[in-house]
Amino acid sequence: MITTDNLTKKYGETLVLDNLNLNIKAGHIYCLLGANGAGKTTTINLLLGFIKPTSGSAFINGLAVSENPKMTKKHLAYIPENLMLYPNLSAVENLHYFSGIGGNNLEKAQLEAYLEEAGLQASAYHQRISTFSKGMRQKVGIALALAKNAGVLLLDEPTSGLDPKASNEFGLLLQKLGNKGVAILMATHDLFRAKEIATHIGIMKNGQLKQEFVADKITLAELEHAYLQTMDYKELAV
Amino acid sequence: MYKFNFIYELKSLVRNGWIQLLTLLLFALFFFAFYNGQEKVEKRKSDIQAAHTEVKESDRDMLKLLDSVERGMTVTASRWTIPSKPMAVGNYHPRVAAMDPGNLAFVATGQSDLFTHYVKPKTSGDDLALNFTEITNPVQQLFGSFDPAFVIIFLLPLIIIAFTYNVLSSEKESGTLRLLASQPISVAAWVLQKMAIRLFWVILMIVVILTMVFYIHIDGASFGSIIPVIGITIGYALFWFALAFVVNLWVGSSSKNAIALIGLWLLFALLVPSLLNQMGSTLYPMPSRTLMINQLRTAKAEATKKQDQILDNFLRDHPEYAINDPNQGRSFYHRYMASQQLVREELQPVVQRFEEQLQKQQQWISQLKWVSPAIIVQQELNTLAGTSTRDYESYRKQVIDFAETWRQHLMPFLYNNQPFASADYKNLPAFEYAPLNSNTTAKTILVLIVIAMGIVGLGFAKGIGFQSSKGILTH
Amino acid sequence: MIQNTFKKELKELSRDGRVRISFLLVILLMAVATWISKNQYSATNEQYKEAETAERHIWEGQGEKNPHSAAHYGTYAFKPKYPLSLIDHGVDKFTGTSIFLEAHKRNEAQFSKAADQTGLARFGDLTPDFVLLFILPLLIVFLGYNAFTKEREMGTLVLLKSQGTSVWKLILGKWLAIFAPVFISLFLLFVVAGIVLSNLKDFGIFSWESLGVLFLVYIGYYIIFINLVLFISSKVKKSGISLVLSLSAWILACLAVPKAASNIAESQYPYPTRQEFAASINKDQKNGIDGHDPWNKQAKLLENKVLKEHNVDSLEQLPFNFDAYRMQKGEEHTAEIYFKHYNHLKTQFEQQSSLYRNLAVLSPFLPARFMSMAIANTDYATHWDFADAAEIYRVELQAFLNGNFAENSTYGEWSYRADESTWKNMPAFEYDPPELSETLGRNTSNLVVLMVWILVSFSLLFFTTKKL
Repeated sequence: MITTDNLTKKYGETLVLDNLNLNIKAGHIYCLLGANGAGKTTTINLLLGFIKPTSGSAFINGLAVSENPKMTKKHLAYIPENLMLYPNLSAVENLHYFSGIGGNNLEKAQLEAYLEEAGLQASAYHQRISTFSKGMRQKVGIALALAKNAGVLLLDEPTSGLDPKASNEFGLLLQKLGNKGVAILMATHDLFRAKEIATHIGIMKNGQLKQEFVADKITLAELEHAYLQTMDYKELAV
Repeated sequence: MYKFNFIYELKSLVRNGWIQLLTLLLFALFFFAFYNGQEKVEKRKSDIQAAHTEVKESDRDMLKLLDSVERGMTVTASRWTIPSKPMAVGNYHPRVAAMDPGNLAFVATGQSDLFTHYVKPKTSGDDLALNFTEITNPVQQLFGSFDPAFVIIFLLPLIIIAFTYNVLSSEKESGTLRLLASQPISVAAWVLQKMAIRLFWVILMIVVILTMVFYIHIDGASFGSIIPVIGITIGYALFWFALAFVVNLWVGSSSKNAIALIGLWLLFALLVPSLLNQMGSTLYPMPSRTLMINQLRTAKAEATKKQDQILDNFLRDHPEYAINDPNQGRSFYHRYMASQQLVREELQPVVQRFEEQLQKQQQWISQLKWVSPAIIVQQELNTLAGTSTRDYESYRKQVIDFAETWRQHLMPFLYNNQPFASADYKNLPAFEYAPLNSNTTAKTILVLIVIAMGIVGLGFAKGIGFQSSKGILTH
Repeated sequence: MIQNTFKKELKELSRDGRVRISFLLVILLMAVATWISKNQYSATNEQYKEAETAERHIWEGQGEKNPHSAAHYGTYAFKPKYPLSLIDHGVDKFTGTSIFLEAHKRNEAQFSKAADQTGLARFGDLTPDFVLLFILPLLIVFLGYNAFTKEREMGTLVLLKSQGTSVWKLILGKWLAIFAPVFISLFLLFVVAGIVLSNLKDFGIFSWESLGVLFLVYIGYYIIFINLVLFISSKVKKSGISLVLSLSAWILACLAVPKAASNIAESQYPYPTRQEFAASINKDQKNGIDGHDPWNKQAKLLENKVLKEHNVDSLEQLPFNFDAYRMQKGEEHTAEIYFKHYNHLKTQFEQQSSLYRNLAVLSPFLPARFMSMAIANTDYATHWDFADAAEIYRVELQAFLNGNFAENSTYGEWSYRADESTWKNMPAFEYDPPELSETLGRNTSNLVVLMVWILVSFSLLFFTTKKL
């Protein structure tokens, strides 16, 4: 469960996030749309506790992030835009390491099972990460979320740079996680993928959440129209 | 968390070859340095040994001559070198006053390349004529020696820097940092652990190398004698690891870290010492040696002019010698020794000033050495090796005392006009060098550890990049 | 293209706070070092003048005395400091500054500054040569380590390459951007030093020419570093790695190799200890130079020869004091023995020097260091030169004194006293250091090594870097 309560962030005089209120329940996949600089990554950074809010607060599973930085991180998994892992360790070793430093010591069989669940082909388990594509690395990231048994998953532009097939596969994976009851927040530019997998969609601009939709109640065309309108973009008459 | 960090960091370091490179480098540098140090010590030992042998041989000749003289045979040697004359013994058969190297002399060349390790003080000649410097190519002194102290003081920090400058920044640069930071861990503690793994390896290598060195180089001493060296080295390594830790937390990109650390190295290992040295010699300037020569010359000229009067005064002050005087012809040496005595006494304060200034400078360093761990370690290693300024000062003093003993032993023969006999040979004084003892090592190690802990504590207190406002996580 | 790159690089460098700070620090260090040096120089030379005058005064004011007593009383030769020691102190600190000139004995220079300093002095002094030889190359490393890697990391390299420029022009532009600030600051520094030196009172034999050559040596030294640093930067992918490699090169060249060389030189061609040296001279004096023909035997032959030459049958009949004459011959004999032994030392020294030259393959620091000391007249060879000059003066002095003794007295007349004015007739010791051309002639091999370094590093940079 992800909640933000009038979450605000200023850098000096510049307002980068303005009274954001989000409520993402277990099983929901919330896609945050918006141009560069709209405040999507700032929101994720605040949820991760990488930066401190100027006012308001963020909650993970009901725990305030700024007060329980370590505890909240136990409940969440995070996949950055370009997920990097240790190039000279294998997939299993990376997974072992990252889950291990969080206090979660797993057996080899379990690790492999998570990788399998994340959709990584078995031949890659013991290969070094340096040979992996972005899509493969992200599968390791998903496996990490699975291994952590995280209730919250934060993703920053995960599908940028993936080919359509990988992107599709990734979307299915997220839906599977959503069905298991994980609350997912995903910042993205990809309207199509958002419409495809999200349960809820929000559009941000200049640090403000301008519109929210329930994904089922809107078509892709309507979504695109709403997005462009929010961006003050005059559509060319067809 | 610790266990995982340890295993995987080690794996990573082995896989990219760091551990192997580090181990090889440490072994090569240390063993080359120990070899050099040992070579110097061996040369010193064999020089001293040769001097002893030479004296032994000349003593045998002397006893032979004495024996012939005592049995009334004519001898072929020059009149003034026949050892029945006490001044001939004093001048032509001096004893070796040697500074034997200690067990750890190979650790630091220190001042040993400047000074000689044995002299043979004679009865004639003033103490100033005792030249304690060694003839060497000064280029060697300028460049210094590739000894273990050099490796420890200068190279070890650089190796540590190369091994640690990018612990955090490389994670940022390769993009793994954000994923790491999203794990329920403290990044500062995590960096500290990665440091600790490196520290562990460096310490392990130092202990292994020094233990091996101990079994190769030192014989006849207990293992305890090498422990202070290990302790100092580890303490110093700890200091540099602590610095690298905070630089990692506070500075940023790999290059910036490296520049910051090299800057610190330059500051502690080169600039601060030379500045302190400059200040020390400005505050307590050495009197001019060239001007001292003038004073010496004037004093001698005066003494030479008044030699007869001086001898009279001397004999008045020393009636025990005067008893036998009236009927004996006063020889050159009677006058000479008396005037020398006077010159010595007169110049004592002049010479003393050099030692005093040197002591003051030394004291100044002792007080301010805490500014730079490099100085602390240099002073401590030199002390352990017995090659510090103090050691040579003490040696000089002991030799000058011995020269006096030597003179005083033979003076009665001279002024009582008593010939030196073979029976007197066994009573000749011998020089025994008493090395200085130091017990500051434990304190020094403790101080180094406290400094390192303080720096680490500061790192934790200030946090990463002064709390992420500088944005190591977000940019 | 070259100009564009040059300007752009200079702009980038001047806008980088780190570069500005490090430049400022280096200049500050340099200023402090020069100031300290200048004070030291003035103080030392004042003392030198004072001591020299006083010593001459003592010598001339000896009064009536037997010339041989005067010979034993002896005199001192003091070594002055030369103007360029302001820039490079060389080995001055480790060599003695005064030589006692007496009868029968050649003495070593006494009282080196280092012997009167604490162990702290061994870290090195804050002198201009320290800044020039150690710190400036480090500055070059900081200026140039990321010249190419930053373009690679920021992705601008692809853009540059797509502009269709040739690689060597790009390299040259970057090279000039590092060279220019180094050249200009060094130039200003040397001009300032030259002005300071030519305005010092009693500045001795300062020549702008030597300063100019010294400047060229340092420029050559820096060119080598610039080439190496840029070469590393062009071959390596990451700035961090490039920095660490460049720094390793610096450590190797400036710290590790010189020290290792000193150890190797010492163990390959060792000097005897002071006591051994004295003992072997003693032995030669006792047994004759080549182990036969000891002095007392030669003296006997001399006696016969002189008697025969003058056609007399006793020494008393000679028109001069034979004691003094024999002493003079003995003096010459002793000088010969010293000459032999000092020559042995010199051979060792020359072999050590050639070892240093050979090891210069590993470090451009070595030839630069030796050249710089030599031009500043603070190297070991100059010290030798001074010691040899003092020895020649000593021999002349003895000849003068023994000559006076021989001519003005008869055999056995030890009570002879020379006139008070006698001592003034012996001219004072004067020493001029070797001229620049002589120094350069002696150091051709160092110059050659330095040139080879420059050429090799240039070709490394320009010919092996075809592609970036």
